[in-house]
Amino acid sequence: MKRALIAAALLTLVAAPARAHRLDEYLQGTLITIERTRVQLEITLTSGVAVFPAVFAAIDRDGDGVISQAEGRAYADRVLGNIALGIDDEKLSPHFVSAQFPSVAELKEGQGAIRLVFAADVDSGGSERRLTFQNHHEPRISVYQVNALVPRDRDIHIVEQKRNDTQSLYELDYTQPGIRKDVEGMAPAIAGLAAAAYFAVRRRMRAA
Amino acid sequence: MGRILPLLLALTAAAQTPTAKIVSAANAFLSTLDAKQRQAVTFSFDDEAQRKRWSNLPVAMVPRAGLKLGDLNASQRTAALALVSASLSARGYEKVQQIVEADEVLKNNGGRNTAGGPPPGGGRGGPPGGGRGGPPGGGRGGPGGGAMFGKDLYFISILGTPSEKTPWMLQFGGHHLALNVTIDGARGILTPSLIGAQPALYTVAGKTVRPLGAESDKAMALLNALDESQRKQAILGFKVADLVLGPGADGKTIQPEGLRASNMNEKQRTMLLDVVAEWASIVHAEAAAARMTQLKAEIADMWFAWSGPVTVEPGKNITAYYRIQSPHLVIEYAPQPLGGDPGMHVHTMYRDPTNDYGRK
Repeated sequence: MKRALIAAALLTLVAAPARAHRLDEYLQGTLITIERTRVQLEITLTSGVAVFPAVFAAIDRDGDGVISQAEGRAYADRVLGNIALGIDDEKLSPHFVSAQFPSVAELKEGQGAIRLVFAADVDSGGSERRLTFQNHHEPRISVYQVNALVPRDRDIHIVEQKRNDTQSLYELDYTQPGIRKDVEGMAPAIAGLAAAAYFAVRRRMRAA
Repeated sequence: MGRILPLLLALTAAAQTPTAKIVSAANAFLSTLDAKQRQAVTFSFDDEAQRKRWSNLPVAMVPRAGLKLGDLNASQRTAALALVSASLSARGYEKVQQIVEADEVLKNNGGRNTAGGPPPGGGRGGPPGGGRGGPPGGGRGGPGGGAMFGKDLYFISILGTPSEKTPWMLQFGGHHLALNVTIDGARGILTPSLIGAQPALYTVAGKTVRPLGAESDKAMALLNALDESQRKQAILGFKVADLVLGPGADGKTIQPEGLRASNMNEKQRTMLLDVVAEWASIVHAEAAAARMTQLKAEIADMWFAWSGPVTVEPGKNITAYYRIQSPHLVIEYAPQPLGGDPGMHVHTMYRDPTNDYGRK
């Protein structure tokens, strides 16, 4: 019951601030928040008037003209399935955090924005990191934007953002305090020495 | 005596500080209203919902609160516009008038950029099954039958009590315009504000008007003043379709990109500040001077990024997106494909991500 209430609270059917009036495009803007052990994606989706029927059909699966909680959540999951997030060549598994849907009337007029938030836990990693993000949701009708927010953690520094022409593919290089790259390569040897020392001490204690 | 009094009044007005003049204009406007109108136009200073009730969209699509110019009588309307004028510079107010006039042109053209131009929203294939996209209703009516465009559809509101000492706020906006002016003692803060235009080039009485023409021309001149290596840094290798930090993106700071002003020469930095001044100098001169001083101090950490075509036809607006960013500034210039020619439909955003609505 508690879980259901939390889910209902996270999936709200309220108007997100109205944005541009688009026509034949589905604008998907992603803002990425980087923390040491977490990455958050806030995706704002604004449907043009002309593409509304296609977008709405993908949300309103029972065709009753209303976006139910379940349909909203299912749509968020579909978007989640169409994006890919990775760090340092490792695939990340972002999870659903929250969703806001405007009224159907606002969506229909091309003015309402759907706002989805996903997040993924990341290991603390090394000092130089590369985050990758791909958005393949509705590629036929979509235009994409993706930007990193300036990290709140002042020790995290964004080095470079790279994108393809359509911004469907994105790479973000950043640095953070951590194990230095030169030391990082020695990590297996250090771990081996530590393990050997541990077993040596244990053997001695047993013998005593 | 009959001649002395007006002279004294004029001298008194001239001696007033900008804030005193704005407060006088606000009180003069409020005195023209009846009790019901006063109630409608005033809000609590900390009314968050009203603060954020702004958009680039027509008022029929995103309803505004406050008083609509079209609902005011002639003297009330004059007093309302005198208040807007008092809070802005002469050029800032002229720009606002041209933006409002553009919307009147849009109304008279039935929602088209030009009389006989492409249909509202047309020009890029049109919606399937009808070709009636864009702001529904064209120039005549919006959702629910409300009027869509025109100079009567701009709203004024006051948050808090006009004062020379304690903070209060003036909002003026409608389609393609959202001015949020916080008056806090001598300070005048214009962030966040949305300044757009459609059509962004029109003719009135034989005269060509480009409300955001200087924003286009000065940025183009700056790009052309860069050498090849600087252009490689400034020109982004991807398309930017819209404002990144438009309505609803208060308090967010994106990572700056493009060419850093520390890698520009003195002349280029002056040109960059001149582009910035097109937004920073919309507010009244004294506040604009303080803002420009703040921004000049962080010029080394100011960035210029460009995405899209790198040429423009003489006398026309650029069709490229650009962004200027520094620790206390985000400016975005984003031409829109809706309506056919992106140079005829421009959205711009002016922000201080550290100081939305003068909170600092």
